[in-house]
Amino acid sequence: MTAATKQPAKKATVSMSGDRSIHIERVFNATRDRVWEAMTKPELVAQWWGRGNKLEVERLEVRRGGHWRFVEHAHGEAHGFEGRYAEVVPPSKLVYSFEWDGMPAHALLETVTLEDIGDGRTRMVIDSLFLMAEDRDAMVSSGMEGGMNESYEALDRVLAAGW
Amino acid sequence: MVQYSRTLDSAFGALSDPTRRGILERLGRSDAAISDLADEFDMTLTGIKKHVGVLEDAGLVTTEKVGRVRTCRLGPRQLDDEAEWIAEYRRMLEGRLNRLEAFLEATKGRDRR
Repeated sequence: MTAATKQPAKKATVSMSGDRSIHIERVFNATRDRVWEAMTKPELVAQWWGRGNKLEVERLEVRRGGHWRFVEHAHGEAHGFEGRYAEVVPPSKLVYSFEWDGMPAHALLETVTLEDIGDGRTRMVIDSLFLMAEDRDAMVSSGMEGGMNESYEALDRVLAAGW
Repeated sequence: MVQYSRTLDSAFGALSDPTRRGILERLGRSDAAISDLADEFDMTLTGIKKHVGVLEDAGLVTTEKVGRVRTCRLGPRQLDDEAEWIAEYRRMLEGRLNRLEAFLEATKGRDRR
């Protein structure tokens, strides 16, 4: 590929790796430092993490052992998400636990790595590991579902229109 | 079976409330009239109707009115907590990445060094 300046590096690749994790790769037209800051500065996180919903960043202690807790407000309801950082390597790697208040103790371990791929672009790789046995079993069955990518594309369009 | 065509927040919101999870559990045992649910959950008819409405929108519950009684039963979309959670998680993650991308585009050149 030639230096495609305005190429929308949009496609996420999603795959099931093993029976208990989700693997997602995505390329952003932004430097690694900018992506890192967007993920680690509360005032920046508040602008995207809520997917268009109001987001309160209650805690964001980006260090090993630090807590994070975000509350997303949607349709008159509050959804809390939280976890702790297991590993913090600026500006390239974050490992943290992830739980939703609605499914307490159904924790995941998210590993996010950022790779500088030149031209001011950054590849983000997310590996989400489901920690509970039931979740892993459910993963296998939900992985059989067809049409996932089509739905993602639809979601992409919806979200893009709403921005 | 998880229906990916549903909007993210309907199932997400439906499952987030303990009363609604209780209603699903209750309907898993047998169908029930709105008034039965109101009694059992010690809520007003209006309150229960609101919860049932949310579950109905998410495809988790269907209702049918016969005479003056509205009966609720589990909808075509059977609840499978874990599978549902994983599907929602995956959709949320995609949604967040889309927003992050848009945010990075919108703030290009505006970031302080």
